[in-house]
Amino acid sequence: MARQQGWLALILALAIAAAALLIQFPLQLGLDLRGGSQLSLQVKPAGTITRVEREQLEAVKEVLDRRINGLGVAESSLQTVGDDQLVLQLPGEQDPSRAARVLGTTALLEFRAQTPGTEEEMAGLLALKRQTQSVLASRRARVDPAEAEADPARPLAADDLAQALQELGVEVPEGSSEIRQLELLLDAVNTRIVDLYEPAELSGRELVGAGRQQQQTGTAWDVTLSFTREGGERFARLTQSLAGSGRLLGIVLDGRSISEASVGPEFQAAGITGGAASITGNFTAEEARELEVQLRGGSLPLPVEVIEVRTVGPSLGAENVRTSLIAALVGLALVAVFMVLTYRLAGVVAVMALALYALFNLAVYALIPVTLTLPGIAGFILSLGLAVDANVLIFERIKDELREGNTLIRSIDAGFSQALSSIVDGQVTTLISCLALFALGTGFVKGFAVTLGIGVLLSLFSALVCTRVLLRLLMSYPNLRRPSNFIARAQLPTAAS
Amino acid sequence: MSPLASLLRVRVNHRRRLLLGLSAAAVFLSLLGLLLSWLSPAIGAPLRAGLDFTGGTQIQIERRCDGGCEPLTTATLQRRLAALDLPADSGAQPPRLGGGAVQLLDEGRQVVLRLPTLSADQSQAVIAALESDLGGIEPAGLGIDTIGPSLGAQLLRASLVSLGVSFIGIAAYITLRYDRLFAALALLCLAHDVLITCGVFAWLGLLAGVEVNSLFAVALLTLAGYSVNDTVVVFDRIREKRQQLQSASLADQADAAVSATLTRSLFTSFTTLLPLLALILFGGSTLFWFAVALSIGVLVGAWSSVAVAPTLLPVLGRR
Repeated sequence: MARQQGWLALILALAIAAAALLIQFPLQLGLDLRGGSQLSLQVKPAGTITRVEREQLEAVKEVLDRRINGLGVAESSLQTVGDDQLVLQLPGEQDPSRAARVLGTTALLEFRAQTPGTEEEMAGLLALKRQTQSVLASRRARVDPAEAEADPARPLAADDLAQALQELGVEVPEGSSEIRQLELLLDAVNTRIVDLYEPAELSGRELVGAGRQQQQTGTAWDVTLSFTREGGERFARLTQSLAGSGRLLGIVLDGRSISEASVGPEFQAAGITGGAASITGNFTAEEARELEVQLRGGSLPLPVEVIEVRTVGPSLGAENVRTSLIAALVGLALVAVFMVLTYRLAGVVAVMALALYALFNLAVYALIPVTLTLPGIAGFILSLGLAVDANVLIFERIKDELREGNTLIRSIDAGFSQALSSIVDGQVTTLISCLALFALGTGFVKGFAVTLGIGVLLSLFSALVCTRVLLRLLMSYPNLRRPSNFIARAQLPTAAS
Repeated sequence: MSPLASLLRVRVNHRRRLLLGLSAAAVFLSLLGLLLSWLSPAIGAPLRAGLDFTGGTQIQIERRCDGGCEPLTTATLQRRLAALDLPADSGAQPPRLGGGAVQLLDEGRQVVLRLPTLSADQSQAVIAALESDLGGIEPAGLGIDTIGPSLGAQLLRASLVSLGVSFIGIAAYITLRYDRLFAALALLCLAHDVLITCGVFAWLGLLAGVEVNSLFAVALLTLAGYSVNDTVVVFDRIREKRQQLQSASLADQADAAVSATLTRSLFTSFTTLLPLLALILFGGSTLFWFAVALSIGVLVGAWSSVAVAPTLLPVLGRR
């Protein structure tokens, strides 16, 4: 009896602790329930690296972490998934396009000298670039065609545009607008310019900081850079070699020219010293900020690709919470009604144990913590049905024993001990599936496996300990200690009744 | 009534041919459905693969309808999509959206678009372009899912590997606790349950256009653990009856075990179905087919543990 009371005290203490835990630490809701965006990034092998190793994944994560901090998104979380993936969660974010842009590019900044003897080709490309840029700017500013007619910028005739695109080998999708064609042309020009440069002398790795400032004339922005000491010296040597030669200093980002600068003859003596530079790329405020964030964070050691973006609006999430809550309560109620109707007093005990199970389960979610997602909740609801499984097994055994004419207390004890092996066998197979899901699944599959696995373990505790202790407690009241509280009188052998 | 006869309330082995015949017919129909689906040019796979497996972008938009939505046809939206000129994504050619699918739900209040894989920028451009046709968008009700094409293949591989590992793990455990014959039977039942569940969804895909997503894969994997759970309880009883009724035939021992566990098998399946029923009725559209898949699996699982495993045991056990 003392041992029974010890168990009872333990269950009560656990229940109180679980309730306190839930009040103290509210459940964490996943983005599909609270609204927000989730981006999955795949790290891709490049160059000499054929397989992404753990350290490289961590290195990529470090850079991305710095970029995210630069963006200043509240509450964001970046986690590695599997061998070569990262998942970024942005709670409350409805438009993940900026994050996708800033995170999805390598941001390798290079300073390269123009190859001697390419002056003529460079001049042609730069002329085309400037023309394309100015037409593009005016087209973007004036969508109305009547106004575009009166555009002071020399329009690029349709034939010229088609010819230029063809010369650079740009494929244009059927039915693209003029603006889109111009963008493709500009991109191709910027890629072609890079071919005219020598290999990189200096890269973004040599930076200690980056900033941005608005140009004094006009609305465009510049991005400012400050180099490490070593970087500053290299920059001085690079500019010294170009000074007065007529060749250009190219600033290249991810294989595209973003700025071409001439270095005046006054720097022939020592080059540009001081360890600072600025990129005049005619950036918009937003572009300048994104580049600044990327340069500060450093370039990615390996390229990444955005492979999955999921965005859920907050009201859509609230709807998911509402429907799954209703489903959980209805499911619980249906199971409770069935158990009480079928097993009478034992059914009442099973329902109490089921309520404890639900409480403990939620407390474990809060403790670990498990982030609740829609599939996770589905796993939890499903486990409500599975949790009574063991109770049904035990109660059926108890009924068997009663039918054979055993006393109530003996039947209860025998029911528990005989049902044990099949309960354990059955739950172990479910746990094996959970382990396979957890080990091999990704993302929400893992979440589902965790909730189901916790459910299985707790249901064992609930059925084998809680039900038993509660049943024993009730059996200490002589009024309740009647076989007819467990089984229809007609099924009992006459000797026992 | 002899003591043995009183233990044999349900004699599944007397109806072995009928029971196994029914299962065989169900398996045949399932295989037929999977094959037809594979041969169908519109599907081209054993099951109609959803966004999670094929890759692509799905955009769900809630219209802002103060005082009733303007009537809207999918053709209007489709024309708008076909004419849409998307921004390029880091130099790659933007896709054309003429072939995208448009669906109107909830009396036109919800619009669901199925498009090729779009970048985050491009998805926003699509939404902005449709805003005027839709007459206002409720930003809080927006849902965008973009799955890259490589992710679908990864998901499929991970699902199949998990399923295989579960099979091996369960087989090893049952061999350890019982013997190889029981393990083979349990796996056979498991394959039976998974196959029939897939078969039902193959037919649903053929006839009603129902797609399978990653939740369906999760349902199958859950089923793998659960279905054996049921079978193992019967096995446990068969082992017990083998010792109690040593003089009886294997068929009678199996029948005695089924008789003793039938109520329990039906009840546990029923208690598992109750929360699933709640999910089907109230769980919302995301979980609807997940709950349907699990319900089918639970029903078939109960059948196989009562009607298939105990009737096959005497057949295989004789050899």
